[in-house]
Amino acid sequence: MDFELMVGVTPLLLKAAWVTVDISARAISLGFVVACVLVFMRSIKFIPLQWFARGYISVIRGTPYFVQLLLVFYGGPALGIRLDPFTCGVLVGAFNIGAYMSEAIRGALESVDSGQNEASRSIGFGRFQTLTYVVLPQAAGLMIRSVGVLGIVLVKNSSLVSIISVVELTYQAQRLIGSTYKPFEIFALTAVMYICIVYAVMGIVELAYRRATRYTTLVKRVQ
Amino acid sequence: MEFDFSPVITYAPTLLKGMGVTFLIALVVAIFSIVGGLLVAVISIFTNKVVSWPLRFFIWLFMTTPLLLQLYFLYFGLGEWILIPALMVGVLGLGFHYMAYNADIFIATIRSVSSGQYEASRSLGFGHLRTIYYIIVPQAFIRSVPQIGNNLILMVKDTSVLSAIGVAELVYASQYAISVSFRPFEFFIVIAVIYYILNLFMEYGQSRFERMTADRR
Repeated sequence: MDFELMVGVTPLLLKAAWVTVDISARAISLGFVVACVLVFMRSIKFIPLQWFARGYISVIRGTPYFVQLLLVFYGGPALGIRLDPFTCGVLVGAFNIGAYMSEAIRGALESVDSGQNEASRSIGFGRFQTLTYVVLPQAAGLMIRSVGVLGIVLVKNSSLVSIISVVELTYQAQRLIGSTYKPFEIFALTAVMYICIVYAVMGIVELAYRRATRYTTLVKRVQ
Repeated sequence: MEFDFSPVITYAPTLLKGMGVTFLIALVVAIFSIVGGLLVAVISIFTNKVVSWPLRFFIWLFMTTPLLLQLYFLYFGLGEWILIPALMVGVLGLGFHYMAYNADIFIATIRSVSSGQYEASRSLGFGHLRTIYYIIVPQAFIRSVPQIGNNLILMVKDTSVLSAIGVAELVYASQYAISVSFRPFEFFIVIAVIYYILNLFMEYGQSRFERMTADRR
């Protein structure tokens, strides 16, 4: 092990790690918005929109993320879509993970007993109020956990963005190996950085989970 | 903006060859990752800490780092000492990655088999290994069918990543065809459709198999 080299390349790798964090954070937030829109589309009683959402989710989940990335980046110009690599990575990541997240959100919402919905409607809450005051607080715990897992999947998938030449962690690692010929040291460092990012996401998810379920777990403890 | 799908037809043999490699990789990796995952799970549960901790560590390591990084490590990192062909590295890398995911599932399902099963089997005269082989593992395996099926579907999609280290599978074949014909959109949309159809078949197979085994779970 060449520790001197490891210390030397750390600043470069940290800079690249920040790009990974940046791209993942943007893609996760945008992906959540996409997911909410998809869930909304599937819940309203307008059949073409439902079909669109279903078809979209099926196609996105049925094709590899890697192929989607290549299709948009290299095939996009044929449709007049020219994106720089970073934007392309964020957008494809968001629209990909959004499809998975919408299924996770829908699953969490459906896990709440339908009697809750009916009871809330019958005591005079509107549809939106029922969602925000009755269903969401009960679904939040499961929703945060399953969306969080997908966030971790996205962080790991963000390594594929190196193929379209975004200088993120994997790209930088590969480039440094090319110039130093010390693959083991650089891979060890890169792996540690990925593990740190993944654990940071896990920590945030756990904090959000505890905050979202602080009342429901209290009820369970009293019972 | 006009589309010309005629190069796709010209290079159909190249794509078909790539598809064959993708199928082959998927098949080998599926067998390797399921058998290996089961072995790793059984060994890490039923042995002492000296054996099980390194195994757990490798499961954890493969689950927390990206597949592409693992492939690069195997291809460029180990390439320092031994030269392994890209196809072999691809199969091994993808195999180890999904072996870790499958082992994680098998560990959970083996633990979910009631300990009464073990005790009953031992009291009927089965030995320790026979109990594991005939009683515990079959029950755990049937229980993990849905999740292993999900992993297999994810794995087939991830075979596309192997093109990054130069395995001549479907994406790589199309990239070659694109470099000659300069028609990226047409080729990528066609292979997306191929993957989608493959995925539909796999989802159908998964739900059939799940229903078949549902009453034994």
